[in-house]
Amino acid sequence: MLIWLVLIPLIASALIGLCKAPARPTALLSATLTLALGIWALVSFDDCASCWSRFQGLDLQLTLAPAMAKVMLLLTILVTFATVLGTNPPKGGEASWYNSALLISAGATGAFLSNNIISFFAFHELALIPTFVMIGLYGRGDKRTTAWRATLYLGLASMVLLAALLMIGTQAGFTFSGLQDFIQSGQPLENAELIGALLIAGFGTLISLFPFHSWAAPAYASAPAPVAMMHAGVLKKFGLYGLFMFQPLMEAGFLPWTNILLVLLVCNVIWVGYVTVNQKRLDLLLGNSSVMHMGYIFLAFAALIVSGSTEANPWAVKGAALLMLAHGLSIALLFMLCGQIEKQTGTLEINSLGGLGTRLPRMAFVFGLAGMASIGLPGLANFPGEFMVFFSGFAGFENGFGPVQIATILCLWGLVIGAVYMLRAYRNIFQGDLSKAAAYATELLPAERAANYFLVITLVVFGFLPDLVLQFFS
Amino acid sequence: MQAYIPEFILAGLAMILLLAETFFKKAPKFVFGLIGAAGALAMLPFYMESLYANTYIILALVATAITLLLSVDFRAVINLSSNDSKTQDGTGEFYILPLLACVGITSLCKAANLVELFVSLEVLTLSSFIMVGYFRRNLGSTEAGIKYLILGAVSTGFLVFGLAWYFGMTGTFEYNRAIVMAALSGQTAPGMFFALALLLLGTAFKIGAVPMQLWIPDVYQGAPTPVTAFLSVASKVAGFALLSIILAPFAGIPAVQFVIALMAAATLLVGNLGAIPQTNLKRLMGYSSIAQAGFILPLFIGTVKGQLAPNAPFYLAVYLVMTFGAFFALAMIRTQRGSEEISAFRGLGKTNPRLALAITIMFASLAGVPLTAGFFAKMISFVYVINTGLYLNWMLPIMIICAAAGFYYYFKVIRSMYWDKPEEGMEPVQVPVISGVMLAAFSVFIVIGGLMPLFINPIR
Repeated sequence: MLIWLVLIPLIASALIGLCKAPARPTALLSATLTLALGIWALVSFDDCASCWSRFQGLDLQLTLAPAMAKVMLLLTILVTFATVLGTNPPKGGEASWYNSALLISAGATGAFLSNNIISFFAFHELALIPTFVMIGLYGRGDKRTTAWRATLYLGLASMVLLAALLMIGTQAGFTFSGLQDFIQSGQPLENAELIGALLIAGFGTLISLFPFHSWAAPAYASAPAPVAMMHAGVLKKFGLYGLFMFQPLMEAGFLPWTNILLVLLVCNVIWVGYVTVNQKRLDLLLGNSSVMHMGYIFLAFAALIVSGSTEANPWAVKGAALLMLAHGLSIALLFMLCGQIEKQTGTLEINSLGGLGTRLPRMAFVFGLAGMASIGLPGLANFPGEFMVFFSGFAGFENGFGPVQIATILCLWGLVIGAVYMLRAYRNIFQGDLSKAAAYATELLPAERAANYFLVITLVVFGFLPDLVLQFFS
Repeated sequence: MQAYIPEFILAGLAMILLLAETFFKKAPKFVFGLIGAAGALAMLPFYMESLYANTYIILALVATAITLLLSVDFRAVINLSSNDSKTQDGTGEFYILPLLACVGITSLCKAANLVELFVSLEVLTLSSFIMVGYFRRNLGSTEAGIKYLILGAVSTGFLVFGLAWYFGMTGTFEYNRAIVMAALSGQTAPGMFFALALLLLGTAFKIGAVPMQLWIPDVYQGAPTPVTAFLSVASKVAGFALLSIILAPFAGIPAVQFVIALMAAATLLVGNLGAIPQTNLKRLMGYSSIAQAGFILPLFIGTVKGQLAPNAPFYLAVYLVMTFGAFFALAMIRTQRGSEEISAFRGLGKTNPRLALAITIMFASLAGVPLTAGFFAKMISFVYVINTGLYLNWMLPIMIICAAAGFYYYFKVIRSMYWDKPEEGMEPVQVPVISGVMLAAFSVFIVIGGLMPLFINPIR
């Protein structure tokens, strides 16, 4: 049954692309169907493995067994629905616009649900192709250079990652479920440190870990709304998901790299944080802020490595999963708003905007909430996530004050930095005197408003009821 | 049944067609191509019994048939070389030579001793010389022919010298493990290694491996497009068949494994880094063929269960499909837009969306994007290197860098199709029937092969 979560978007995309079906209704139907089907699968706690094609070692088996896969599925279906509902394609670009969202959604779902390591990798690559094509076709600014740079960064990262995955697969088998048996068999993993380094570098580049992050912010800034939403919101979580999935196997392999990782993730939060403060355009600001927030999730990962296991540090995986969900929802909402602002005013220069709140009070309210969520204020989904991540950083504190605790304290400053740029952006865009650009803004379309409210509601719901997500881990 | 019967039939067919060429001056000569393709495919049943042992032969036959079909769709350009512009008189050989070359490859795969091997190889090589220089009024084609002739002669010289040394050390032209091992254990060992080195050099020429790769870009660029396709697939199949024969008795020796690893690494680097600045697609395909050879060569390091490179035919099969796909597209663009530059593909995404999709699948597969057959081909190479664990610390990084470089230069074509607007006056490309059918079939093969790799080969 799970296979339909992947097949529905693929079929819809084929209908749109090859049979010239009406793009928006088809895409909307597909997104609604997957949303309903996905929620049903999550509610019924369906661990079923839907075997599509099974061959020795290389099957496309999908499973909902890992708790984190459930969270990621939830994120994917929610963001896909909002993306299809709330973004509007340029004239003549309907087919590729909706196709890109559907293909990325199918690729992400397939990757998160894969039990097989190779199909896990392969589905992610499938989702990357529309990303590049769309940035090159409909991006802003110097779109080709941006798309090209992202292609090369991610292409190289994928190959590094592939090497690591094959080194794991040839020893421990090519399935995630089989890794557990391998760990219990007590065999040591050969070349564990090398594999650990390759995994951190490969996944790290995909997640824009400092210093491999320079592709990310320009790519998100340039990407058209659906691609920015789907990639920053959903697809980027692939790397973090992978790191957490391999952690039990790679305990010995990751541990030697912890201190380097801690330095890099602090750079992600502080260095990129200051870069974000200095941005003059809203799209670049959001792109950089997304890179910055990845630092927090890496912090949870580092804390987990040092603690050694999920039992020793129960906060880390849960907090990371919740924060991944919350960050995905909030950054997708912000990128959607960013696209709407550009459509209304024709500019994204923060200084030439101003007073937009008087023309679009409802949007100002939504942006405010999304911004607050991104900063991590209580009542919104990011708060419990960040809260748990920082707690995980102090797990095992009684044994002594170590590098993880220092990194955690440094990362707390990221909250302040986040407040500085987000509140400043809010003030400059929505408050103050009515600017020339904002003067002609008209009310949003009903569908756009609906998509905005949809994501805001999810942020509030998960903010007040994080247990909806955390119960997957019990 | 005698083993040489298929070769006799195929060579006989070529002779009959040669006679027909003389007697039917006015007839449309592309029919020879169709007959030849049918003839090559008709030989397949002879080899179906032991499919696995005969993969190289089957690949050669299929590659020849596809080359002939490609030539049929390319006939507008071939006909320009006719003596009489109104008829196709004098173009018949173009459709006959690949058959003779194919006879050379299939008999090479069956050769039991080195003289037979050499004669078979020369049948292939001599036919290829004529094919490359076939457009005698075209400066590029003539130049390519001369270059191929000279460098080919040098490589043949190495091969013959190697044979002489082998004969001198062992006193026989029989080539098998027992004889080689006996010669290696005595004082003749250095001479044997020298013979192997010379034989490897001759083989490297056919494969397009470093240090004998220099001819590839120029010859590929100058040769008629179907001939380039033939060289890059059928000739390479012959090269790898030759390599597996020559290397088999030596496969367990660490020094030999090291040399093969070194060759593979150098070939990977030269092919992939050389491809990066190319703007002419045929030249790019030349470097691409070096690069792909670099991914096949690591499979020849060591043995699997006593067998040498059991997975190489799988890689070659996938390589055959995606390379021919690229050449079908290239031939179409060449005949209709008159250029072989990558920029001639611009705007194809707008004017011919389905053709553009097929070409995207071909080049994505060449680059090794997952969910295409090309990914699993590359993956086999990676897995093999990791599994053997030999020279892992430098082979693996080189392979990673080279695979990533592949994304750059193969995607240049995809980029040009989708991102660049068509120039003024660029009409939609008319897709000929054979090319359309073949591209569709190749696309399906690549996608299915990407989803179900075992459909085409068990991964051992």
